[in-house]
Amino acid sequence: MKGFKPSAPILLLLPAFVVLAAVVLVPLLLSLYSSFTPFRLTRPETFFVLIGFRNYVSILSNLDFWYAFGRTVLLLTVALNLEMLLGLGLAMLVEKATRGQRILRTLMMFPMMFSPILVGFQFKFMFNDNIGLVNNALQSLGITQDAIPWLIESHLAFIAISIAEIWSSTSIFAILILAGLLAMPKEPIEAARVDGCTPWQTFRYVTWPFVMPFAYIAMTIRSLDVARAYDIVKIMTDGGPAGRTELLWTLIGRTAYSDARMGLANAMAYFSILLSIAFTVYFYNKLAAARAQIGAEW
Amino acid sequence: MDENASARLMRRALTVAHRVGLFLAMLLICMPGIWIVLSSLRPTVEIMAKPPVWIPQQLSFDAYVAMFSGIGKGGIPVLDYFRNSLIISVTSTVIAVAIGMAGGYAFARYRFRGKSGMFLGLMLTRTVPGIAMSLPLFFVYARLGIIDTHFGMILAYVALNIPFTIWLIDGFFRQVPKDLAEAAQIDGCTRWQAFWQVEFPLARPGIASAGIFAFLTCWNEFALASQLTRSVNSKTLPVGLLDYTAEFTIDWRGMCALAVVMIIPALTLTYIVQKHLVGGLTSGAVKG
Repeated sequence: MKGFKPSAPILLLLPAFVVLAAVVLVPLLLSLYSSFTPFRLTRPETFFVLIGFRNYVSILSNLDFWYAFGRTVLLLTVALNLEMLLGLGLAMLVEKATRGQRILRTLMMFPMMFSPILVGFQFKFMFNDNIGLVNNALQSLGITQDAIPWLIESHLAFIAISIAEIWSSTSIFAILILAGLLAMPKEPIEAARVDGCTPWQTFRYVTWPFVMPFAYIAMTIRSLDVARAYDIVKIMTDGGPAGRTELLWTLIGRTAYSDARMGLANAMAYFSILLSIAFTVYFYNKLAAARAQIGAEW
Repeated sequence: MDENASARLMRRALTVAHRVGLFLAMLLICMPGIWIVLSSLRPTVEIMAKPPVWIPQQLSFDAYVAMFSGIGKGGIPVLDYFRNSLIISVTSTVIAVAIGMAGGYAFARYRFRGKSGMFLGLMLTRTVPGIAMSLPLFFVYARLGIIDTHFGMILAYVALNIPFTIWLIDGFFRQVPKDLAEAAQIDGCTRWQAFWQVEFPLARPGIASAGIFAFLTCWNEFALASQLTRSVNSKTLPVGLLDYTAEFTIDWRGMCALAVVMIIPALTLTYIVQKHLVGGLTSGAVKG
């Protein structure tokens, strides 16, 4: 029996590991290797030339790369925080609803059904300076007469992209936090009420600690999926105007496919992977702490 | 008496505020979707009109008819894309959920060495952005000759979804008290039976939501699909969407129509599976 136990989980996990090794790990090693070569798509023989860290040195001294990096971090910070807040608000609104919960929950998940590329097109359409819904509404309401260049001015473009990003991902937070709220036992809240807690105290010290692991699950899922902003930005501004909304991923895409400089792009890709890993590890630790707090067993 | 009245007033005000807030939030969420449906039914002239035409003057299904009337008539092979998307998404979702259930159960119920690290490592495979993943995968697939096949796409999407389904399902198995399965085993169930009879039904909302997430991820994925598909053999709907932007202008109406076609199956499916998410997971079971 003693020798038997550890083999069960390994057996259960084996299929997952096999698939991941084949589809993720091997290609990843390949791209790690190619980040040390001057590999260009147009010249396959360059795949076998090693140039050491020259790709990494050249991106580290490239100002455009650092701007894209900073912009990516800024976008993620703004978007993730707002998504979390709005998602929590939305989940609590829906949970309080007495009638039509089912329809509300479906509506709440509505943006998740939109492919990021669709979100990009849709918001490009809505923020279009000439025929877009936003400008049309502003002009019809008499707030402004000008066609506001939403996707052309760099700050406005950043706002437009953030709105698209937040619209598309808030529901992930909302649905997971709602699942947490629904899974929550009702006694602690009743007990807190009986003991004379104000609604705020009940929320802060009873509901929130219980829901927190679910919020961090949502955070972590989003941090795994942050690159979905690539599709949105690619369609909405394509990194423009003049590279002023360029994110790490669009820069990688441009370097890899337009300039065909695969080696350099792979070096950049490793930076973006590191960024994602940092996010994920951070939220994973938060999740562990939150779970420990409510006494869930590991 | 007065206190009662003011409390009642307060309560009513809160209810109204809640309703209004809910309505506004839902309006904001649905607005872009409604706008897309509306635009797909309007003639292009009306979409482009300046000053804007708010109340649709004429609605027609011209865009849909054009879309399904085949190549050359301004249409694209939507039916092929639709079939590809469906086959690829459903197959990879089923496989990913099956593998995810095994993995999630292992993480939730067993203790073994390096568990935490293994879990994190699993997650980290998912952090690789699709754009960074696409080219090395293209190399490998080209070598194996599975570019532009359903199999290749399914394989990629299963890998894409596994970490995520394991993560979610693990979380929901954790919420199921261990005592329940142990009680079932004491009552004479095997571990296998205890799993299917006790733990699986309780974890079903989580598994359903994992399935929804996995399906939507496949259905919507673009970065990988755009590289690994070439033709109507395996092109999915998100890639097909780009067929409308082949020229310098964007056919907004046609695009909106295809968007509606993409969203309807996702909406239907979510609505069906959604009922598993209803209700608490364990409340009631541990109470009694």
